[in-house]
Amino acid sequence: MDPLRSYLGRVLLEDVTPVVMVLTTPLAEAACRKSGLSFVDMLSPFSLLKKIDVPVRTASDQPYRLQQFKIRMVYASDVRKQDCEVADARIKLVVSEANENALPDLLSDPPQLEDVLKKPEAELCPLWIKRFNRELVRTLSFSDHETFDHPVACLLVVSSKDKEPISKFADLFNTNQLPPLLNEGIMDPQILKHYLVLHEQQDGPQEIAVNILAEMRTTLGVNDCKLLSINSSTQADGSDADNSWSTYKAHGLHNNEGTCFLNMDDLNEIKDFMQDFASNHIIPYMEQKIRVLNQQVATTRKGFRNQIKNLWWRKRDDVPEAANGPMYTFTSIESQIRVLSDYAFMLRDYELALSNYRLLSTDYKLDKAWKRFAGVQEMSGLCYFMLDQSRKDAEYCMENAFTTYLRIGSSGQRNATRCGLWWAEMLKTRGQHREASTVYFRISNEEPSLHSAVLLEQAACCYLLSSPRMLRKYGFHLILAGNSYYLSDQKQHAVRAYRNALFVYKQNPWSYINNHVHFNVGRWYGVLGIFDVAIKHLLEVIACSHQSLTTQSMFLNDFFHFVQSTGEKFDVYKLQLPVFNMSSLRVVNEDHRTYASNADVDVNESIWQELEEELIPSSSVVRTNWLDTQPKSSPFRNNKACICVAGEAVKLNVELKNPLQISVNVSGISLICQLSTNLNASETGALTTAAEEDIANTKPSISTFESDGNNFTVSKLDIVLGGGETKKIQLEVTPKVIGILKLVGIRWTLSDSVVGYQYFEVATQKKNKKGKRGALRSLNNNLIVIKGLPKLTGYIECLPAKAFTGDLQLLTLNLRNQSEHAVKNIKMKISHPRFVIPGDSSDLDLEFPQCLRKHVQSDSNTVPEGTKENVKGSLFAFPQDIKIQGDATFSWPIWFHAATPGNFSLYLSLYYEMESTTDIPYRTLRMHYNVEVLPSLDVSFAISMCSSRLQEYIVRMDVINKTPSDSFTLHQLSCVRTKWAVSTLPSRDSISFVETVPANQAVSCFFKIKDLSTSSCIEAADGSCGSDIVLSPGGSTDVFDVSRTPITDFHYQERHQQGKLAKVPRSLLDFILISKAVAVNSSKTEQLLSHHTCHCSALNQNPVWWLMEGPRTITHDFSKSCCEANIQLVIHNSSDHNASVRVVTSDCMPEKSQTAPSHESASGQGGWYDVSLENDIKAISSTKGAHSQKQSSESISPFVWCSLSSAQVDLKPDSSAKIPLKVCIFAPGTYDFSTYELHWKVHSSESGQVDENVTSGGGQGYPFYVNVLQGA
Amino acid sequence: MASTACFVIVSKNDIPIYEAEVGSAPKKEDLAYHHQFILHAALDVVQDLAWTTNAMFLRSVDRFNDLVVSVYVTAGHTRFMLLHDSRSEDGIKSFFQEVHELYIKIFLNPLYLPGSRIASSHFDTKVRALARKYL
Repeated sequence: MDPLRSYLGRVLLEDVTPVVMVLTTPLAEAACRKSGLSFVDMLSPFSLLKKIDVPVRTASDQPYRLQQFKIRMVYASDVRKQDCEVADARIKLVVSEANENALPDLLSDPPQLEDVLKKPEAELCPLWIKRFNRELVRTLSFSDHETFDHPVACLLVVSSKDKEPISKFADLFNTNQLPPLLNEGIMDPQILKHYLVLHEQQDGPQEIAVNILAEMRTTLGVNDCKLLSINSSTQADGSDADNSWSTYKAHGLHNNEGTCFLNMDDLNEIKDFMQDFASNHIIPYMEQKIRVLNQQVATTRKGFRNQIKNLWWRKRDDVPEAANGPMYTFTSIESQIRVLSDYAFMLRDYELALSNYRLLSTDYKLDKAWKRFAGVQEMSGLCYFMLDQSRKDAEYCMENAFTTYLRIGSSGQRNATRCGLWWAEMLKTRGQHREASTVYFRISNEEPSLHSAVLLEQAACCYLLSSPRMLRKYGFHLILAGNSYYLSDQKQHAVRAYRNALFVYKQNPWSYINNHVHFNVGRWYGVLGIFDVAIKHLLEVIACSHQSLTTQSMFLNDFFHFVQSTGEKFDVYKLQLPVFNMSSLRVVNEDHRTYASNADVDVNESIWQELEEELIPSSSVVRTNWLDTQPKSSPFRNNKACICVAGEAVKLNVELKNPLQISVNVSGISLICQLSTNLNASETGALTTAAEEDIANTKPSISTFESDGNNFTVSKLDIVLGGGETKKIQLEVTPKVIGILKLVGIRWTLSDSVVGYQYFEVATQKKNKKGKRGALRSLNNNLIVIKGLPKLTGYIECLPAKAFTGDLQLLTLNLRNQSEHAVKNIKMKISHPRFVIPGDSSDLDLEFPQCLRKHVQSDSNTVPEGTKENVKGSLFAFPQDIKIQGDATFSWPIWFHAATPGNFSLYLSLYYEMESTTDIPYRTLRMHYNVEVLPSLDVSFAISMCSSRLQEYIVRMDVINKTPSDSFTLHQLSCVRTKWAVSTLPSRDSISFVETVPANQAVSCFFKIKDLSTSSCIEAADGSCGSDIVLSPGGSTDVFDVSRTPITDFHYQERHQQGKLAKVPRSLLDFILISKAVAVNSSKTEQLLSHHTCHCSALNQNPVWWLMEGPRTITHDFSKSCCEANIQLVIHNSSDHNASVRVVTSDCMPEKSQTAPSHESASGQGGWYDVSLENDIKAISSTKGAHSQKQSSESISPFVWCSLSSAQVDLKPDSSAKIPLKVCIFAPGTYDFSTYELHWKVHSSESGQVDENVTSGGGQGYPFYVNVLQGA
Repeated sequence: MASTACFVIVSKNDIPIYEAEVGSAPKKEDLAYHHQFILHAALDVVQDLAWTTNAMFLRSVDRFNDLVVSVYVTAGHTRFMLLHDSRSEDGIKSFFQEVHELYIKIFLNPLYLPGSRIASSHFDTKVRALARKYL
């Protein structure tokens, strides 16, 4: 790009131009005032000469032509350094003027990335910024270290009405009034003078002026005098002049009065004058001056000799270092070189200028005149630029100048800014936008906030223009600029800067940035009074959870402040505070399924469905089928829609969260609903639901939804959410008429000032996403409202949330029919029949636990089998005649038993049918309770056969109290089957009763049980040992009847449950231990616990029992003969099948037979022979058979079996046989007749197929000691 | 230890996934956004610079007044950015390398979704300890 055509080039061509100092008389000035202009204003439009084509010859002999030229006309009074404050005020004016234009922009949407990129470069950096830059540069005009602002010529103007115009000229150029530059000797006062007579045509003919001109020419010189006539138009505001004048208005002319006496001729005359003045006077004068100065420089400085001399002279002259260096008068060679090079620059002989600047820079450097040095460097940088040579040099010079200016401190600061501006422009021209922006940023640090704001904005623009685009930098610098604007009280500019940066930070995950930008934009908009936009931006930040408490409250306060300033309630779509968790949304509508409490709704539907499988009519398990039975009601065809009943509330559960640390007040949370009563339209309506919702989403007009007050009522909820709190709320809408209810959204009021609302997500979208899991009921925001139905509500009274294991209670199920219609055919299903069993209608009046006591007169010991069957299915049908009338309550007893420890969810489902025909033939009431069962007593039984009695067992009951603090009293132990009798051990009577089991203690008790069913035991009849035994000292009156309804039912359940776990195929009996909790405070009712232990069996049970019977003491006189003792062996077959038993007696019981199998098994283990084990076995066997061992060692048998050695009997089931045995004893002593063995075979099949189904076994004889005494 | 040091891990998608003020200077509320602005703007420079070198440690890429932004780019183009006013480049390099190791451990966690916020408190304490050690 041609540097002359670049922006910087044009600026330099216009700004670095010869200055003409203007001196006018007051009368001349007044003449111009008539047209509302000053003299300079009048001439300045013509000071830019576009087509002059003047040949110029400077130092070199080769002339070149200037096509365009500009001179600056300045009043002499203005030729001085500007006052700082005045200059700043001018700049501020420029900025605030732009402000006013910016306001309408602020109301529109902030620009997007595409908009910004589409904008041409010029628009990014608007005109006023350029004006600002030039004004900033202009503050440095007429500085003393540069000469391009020094006047080249002087124009002296006198009016034709002035008396003695010649002397006036002399007065004008009086030294007292001349600017300080000339007076202080910084510049040469001998400058080109031009004299002008101003004549007003209105005042009369030109003759007077011509006369004056002639006079002037004679005294002041022929060429330097001119006549200019103006105001030739007679009537004010000549139209033709106005048109021609308007073309120059762009040059900053403001014709305030609107009157103009200048006509076309005047303008042409002015134009001719200016052209003549420039081309015939100024340019030749400058040419000549250049040549003269060049000659002078060449003689004093050029050449080897001069250089040496110069160096020598400067070194010797040790100047003290001053900030501005030594004082240079216009006569000094340095000043002359500077004038030479500046003139050359103005006449665009950049080569000449550059060489002189370089010459000068070394001088200044040696003189340590840093400011001048920097100025020279700056100019040489510009020369390089204009010559479009060596970019590196240009940049080096500019940087050098810039840093030097900065180094000299405050006096060079503004110069540094100017240098930076030029430098940045230079870089921009060359496309080095990134570098330019860093330069802008550097100079912005040196300037006051307003200036730095504009500079930062330019830096931002550069980042946008750089390649590749640096949008983040752009945004950042705009934010910095905005901040500076705000500091310098330019709020509109600040907002504009932030707005422009918004698109960079859109959807920005950098939270602090986001908050800062939106908060400030919002706040400033608010300050400017544009509240809606302010609120829109503040909405983005009010839900910031990561900020500190103070910041959050600041955001909120500002937000509410602006909201209140608007003076109206503000509707905000998707207000972020509080946050509604839409995934937690759940619509609870009760169609045929009704719920007892809100918590029951959360139970998985499949649990209910499983529970209700048997309960509800099979055809209606699939919901579409029962709908088909109602062909009249067409809206039900729509499977997607759910059903709700008029008059019954549809509930919606949703979670809301306060992200802030401040508590917020949320009031009036309610649903936004629509109820269309037109059923026919609903079919088409159902099809277009999605479309409707789209409309609702795009046009958030919530007011329409409020008008439906007579069709439905919505609940309003007020809550206060603490900092960071999450709450679950339930909203209700109760439709009153039949139709289609649509849940559209939620609305709420935040702190009584902002109404937030949010629509639910469109159902179809969700459905696609979730696929088959779309069965979630949150989708169904369309509900079909049907006619009112009877509805039961119910609860179980005082169902404990916590209970000890075994806790037995009588509870009441209370039902209430809220409608006026009756319901019938009530059925109930319970998920855990082990825990809850419905009672009988008669139980309701009973007093617990007295009702469980055994009554003497009550002989209904046996429970009819029918009830057991009923219980088994856990489906309970209330008696057919029970109907719950409208508005009636109904109670039914319920037995509760905490069977096993743990947490349990009890599900109860109640089925009922409508008396009258309705849309839905039946409904279910679902109840759900959570019960925590704590461990209490752990009861276990160990049963072992009694070896001394037939059909008797010893039972050891271990009771461990597992509670940490509660004690229990053992009350009663019962055997469930009636054929068993339990009694204490005979010795038990003397031992004190164990009354209570304290916490963490264990107790063991021993009992004896007896099979009553066998005919052999007749003693049961006397009732001394029944199936129950009372453990507490209270006596037998307190005995609870275990065979009555609740306990036996629960026992049945327990038996069923424990039977599943028990692996033992053959069980013996079940025990029920009833205990009482020791009440801490007596006010509490007696707590009864029943522990069921089922399927207890003896440790090792043989099908065959045997017992030796005979005299225990025999007195015999051995002197006569050996003694014969008659004993008999009673064998009992307790199995259900025939058994054959063989008895083998042996006189000598070999020890081998005992130990041999263990030997074999040990050796059979393939080398894994454990010595110690065998020793143990030997030790055991030796202790066991001590007697026989002794016998064998002596090899003398003290007795012999004499009647038979082997006998076989066949026994029928449950029958006994006696085998007589005879023993011959030879000496008195104590003998153990246990040297016999029994072998039996049980034929389990009736047909007697021996080879199969035979269980066989054998056993050693029990010890049977007989004392034989020597008779007298 | 540097008086000001703000460490941020920026994911591939320019989302900050971990932020920590590790400087010894007391934390000021208004500086938090200031630091974020500087680091966010520096991403523009990193974007260019990352592809000009093989090294992961890009040294100081940007400066704002007396604050310097040093950047370390992982192979997955996750950027560790440190805004600091200290001059010890070696320390910063070591810091970045150790943090990279920690980051890889986080990354190997099968439950960590790449590009999501690092919420591990263990990681946080480790990074702060490293900052005390090297910066």
